[in-house]
Amino acid sequence: MKKLALTVICIGVLALALASAASMSSSLKAGKAELQTAGQLAFGPEGVLFVADPKQAVVFALDTGDSKPGQQAADVPGINEKLAAVLGIAADQLMINDMAINPVSKKAYFSVSRGKGADAAAAILRVDAKGKIEELSLDGIKHSKVALPNAPADVKNSRGQSPRQEAITDLAFIDGKVIVAGLSNEEFASNLRVLPFPFASADKGTSIEIFHGAHGRFETNAPIRTFVTYNINNKPHVLAAYTCTPLVKFPLSDLTPGKKVMGSTIAELGNRNRPLDMIVYSKGGTDYILLNNSSRGVMKLSAKGLDKYESITKQTEPAGVPYETLAQYKGVDHLDKVDNNTGAMLVRGDGGALNLKQFQLP
Amino acid sequence: MRLLLLCGLGLTLQAASIQLERDAARKDVFVLRGVAASAAAEGFSVRVDAAGDVPALSGSYERTSEGIRFRPKYPLQGGMKYKATWQVPGAPLLEARFTVPKVEVTSTARVERIYPSAGVLPSNQLKLYIHFSAPMSRGEAWRRIHLVEDGGKEVMLPFLEIEEELWDPSQTRLTVLFDPGRIKRGLVPHNEAGPALLEGRTYHLVVDRAWPDSKGAALTREFRKTFQVRTADRTPPTLGGWKIHPPAAGTRVPLRVDVPEPMDAALLQRLLWVIDGEGKTLAGDVALQADETRWVFTPDAPWRAGVHQLRAGMTLEDLAGNRIDRKFDVDSFEKVEMRLTVKTRDVPFTIPAATATPR
Repeated sequence: MKKLALTVICIGVLALALASAASMSSSLKAGKAELQTAGQLAFGPEGVLFVADPKQAVVFALDTGDSKPGQQAADVPGINEKLAAVLGIAADQLMINDMAINPVSKKAYFSVSRGKGADAAAAILRVDAKGKIEELSLDGIKHSKVALPNAPADVKNSRGQSPRQEAITDLAFIDGKVIVAGLSNEEFASNLRVLPFPFASADKGTSIEIFHGAHGRFETNAPIRTFVTYNINNKPHVLAAYTCTPLVKFPLSDLTPGKKVMGSTIAELGNRNRPLDMIVYSKGGTDYILLNNSSRGVMKLSAKGLDKYESITKQTEPAGVPYETLAQYKGVDHLDKVDNNTGAMLVRGDGGALNLKQFQLP
Repeated sequence: MRLLLLCGLGLTLQAASIQLERDAARKDVFVLRGVAASAAAEGFSVRVDAAGDVPALSGSYERTSEGIRFRPKYPLQGGMKYKATWQVPGAPLLEARFTVPKVEVTSTARVERIYPSAGVLPSNQLKLYIHFSAPMSRGEAWRRIHLVEDGGKEVMLPFLEIEEELWDPSQTRLTVLFDPGRIKRGLVPHNEAGPALLEGRTYHLVVDRAWPDSKGAALTREFRKTFQVRTADRTPPTLGGWKIHPPAAGTRVPLRVDVPEPMDAALLQRLLWVIDGEGKTLAGDVALQADETRWVFTPDAPWRAGVHQLRAGMTLEDLAGNRIDRKFDVDSFEKVEMRLTVKTRDVPFTIPAATATPR
C-alpha cells in the first residue's frame, strides 16, 4: 500500500520517475492479467499499480488507465459490504487484502479475495470521489509481470504441488524499483527483493536478504512487516517495521547485489504488537511517519533528525525515536496517504462493517 | 455444477419480464425480455437484494433479438438474494427478485496431524505445521488456534498473527510461528511479555472444531495436541552426529538417516538429497519418522554400489529455528541470486556391493 513518497523524495528522483513514465507504459502489453491472488498494492507513476500475487510468487504491473488528477475518494460506510455486493457475495465471504490510494487520481483501490477457500477469485476494485465502486477489468488490461526468485522446491505433496509458498507482506515503488518484502512458510528468514521496473526477464533480477542487528549482542532475521521509503540527509532510505516491532533504517543504495546490508534499529515500539501500515508526510516543514499497529493503535513519529538517532544496541524499553499514540484512531485495518494534508483509512465499525474514511493528517 | 433451483418472482409488466436462466455453458444469465429493441442497456441492472444503496453486480450486458442479457462476472452465491431492475424514464419500474438456494455442506475436514510430532518441545519452539485433510478457509486462523496451559488458562498472543496466513497453495497446511519477539533474547517483547512457553509446564494446542473448511463446513472434530516444554535449545545442529544406515546394492531398501534431535519437518522433507557417484540427484520418496529424527529415502531405482553423498541444505532448522552451524539469534549475510541457491554440505557414505545369497 505504498506510495510514492513524493514529498520526501528529492526533486531529482521525481523528475527521473516522470521521465521514465513513457518507458513504463510502453513496457506493458494488453491482455488478460491472470491474477490468482491479489495481495499487497503499491502505486507507481502514471496510474501504474503494482499488485503482489503471492500464490504465483509474481508481481504484476497494471495500467489502471487512471492517471488524471482528481478528488479524494468519498467516505463510504460499510465499504466491505459494497465491495462484496459488486462481486455478488455476502460481506463475510470477502477478504480485503490491501488498500492503496492512487497518488494522482486520489481514488481508493482495494485488492480482495472473493471467497476464503483455495479457489477464491482475485479482484481489484476502486472507489471514486462520489463513492462509486467499480471493478478494474483484468481482461485486455495493459500489464506486465515478473516472477519472484523462489527457493528450489523439489518436494511435492500428494496433490503434485510444492507446499512452499511465500507471503508478500509489503510492496513499494521508488526510483524505478519495486521493493518486495516477503516471508516464507518454511524457512524463517527476512527477504527483501529489489525488482527493476520495467520488469526484466525473470532470470536477470537479483534479490537481497537484509538483517537488522544490534539488540545487545544479538541479531535477528525476523521478517519485515511493513516499510516505507524516506529521505534522510537527501539519501533515500528504507524504514522497515519488523514483525516484532523494531523500526529499522538502511540506505536504499545499500540494496545492491552482493553487498552486505546492515540495518540500524532506531526504535522499539512495544510488545504484543504488529505493525500494519506506514506512511510518510510533511507538515509545517517537518516530516512525520504514521505507523498503524495491531494493538498499539496509530503512532505518530517525527522524522526530523532521523539520522541523529543512534542504533539501539542494548536491551531497552520502547525507545529510540519518540512517538505519540493517537487515541482518536482506533480499529484501523489499513492506512494510506492521499496527499500531504489527507490520509485514508479502513476502520472497523460496528457489526463487522469496515468504513472507508478520509482524515486530516495530524 | 450444482443444480440451480430458483425461486423466481419474475414480475411481468406490460409484457416485459426478467428471468434468471442458465446458458449453454451452464453460466447464470439474467434475461430481460419484452422491451423495445432500441432500449438502452443502462436501464437494466442486477444487485444483491439488500437494504440501502447497493452497487450493481459486476458483469457484462449483451443486446440480443429477445432483449438484454446480463451475465454476472462471477457465479451467483448459494443462499443469496438478488434483485434485477429495469428502469427507464417514462416507463414503470420493473423489479424481479431471485433467491439462490443454499447448498448444504457437510463436515468432512479434520486436522490430520501437527508437526512437530514430539510430545516434548523446547521453550523456544519456533514453528508449527497444521495439516488438514481438506482445503480450509482463510481469515480464521487466529481465532481458531489456542494455546492453553494445563490448568485451562489460555496463553495470550503466543503466535505471530500475520493477516496473510502462511498457507501452502492448496490451503491444507498452515504454518504457525510462535512470536519471534517473545523468543529472541534482547527484544522488548521478550523482556516485557516473556516467552509464550515456560520450561517444565504442559500445554495444549487446541484447534477449534468451528473452523470452516473452504466450503464453509466446520471440522468434524476439535483437535488437541498436548506437549511438555523442555529447556530452550540454543545449540545449532551439526551434521556430525548424523547416522547413515546404507542398504545393500541391488535393492530398493530405504536409506535411513538418524538425526540426534528433531528437525523442522518441512525443511527436513525438502532439504536433504542423495547424490550418486556420478553426481546425479537420486529420485525417490521421502518419509519422516521417529518424531522427525529419522529421514527415510526409498529410491525409485535399485541402489548401485559405490560412494554416495547425503547432501544437506544449510538452511535446515531444528525445532527452535537454529540452522546448521548457526544459532537462531545470530545471522550472517548472504547474496541471493534470482534462483535462490541453497548452500549445502555433503556427507559421504558407501552402498556396499550386494552379497550373493546362498541358495
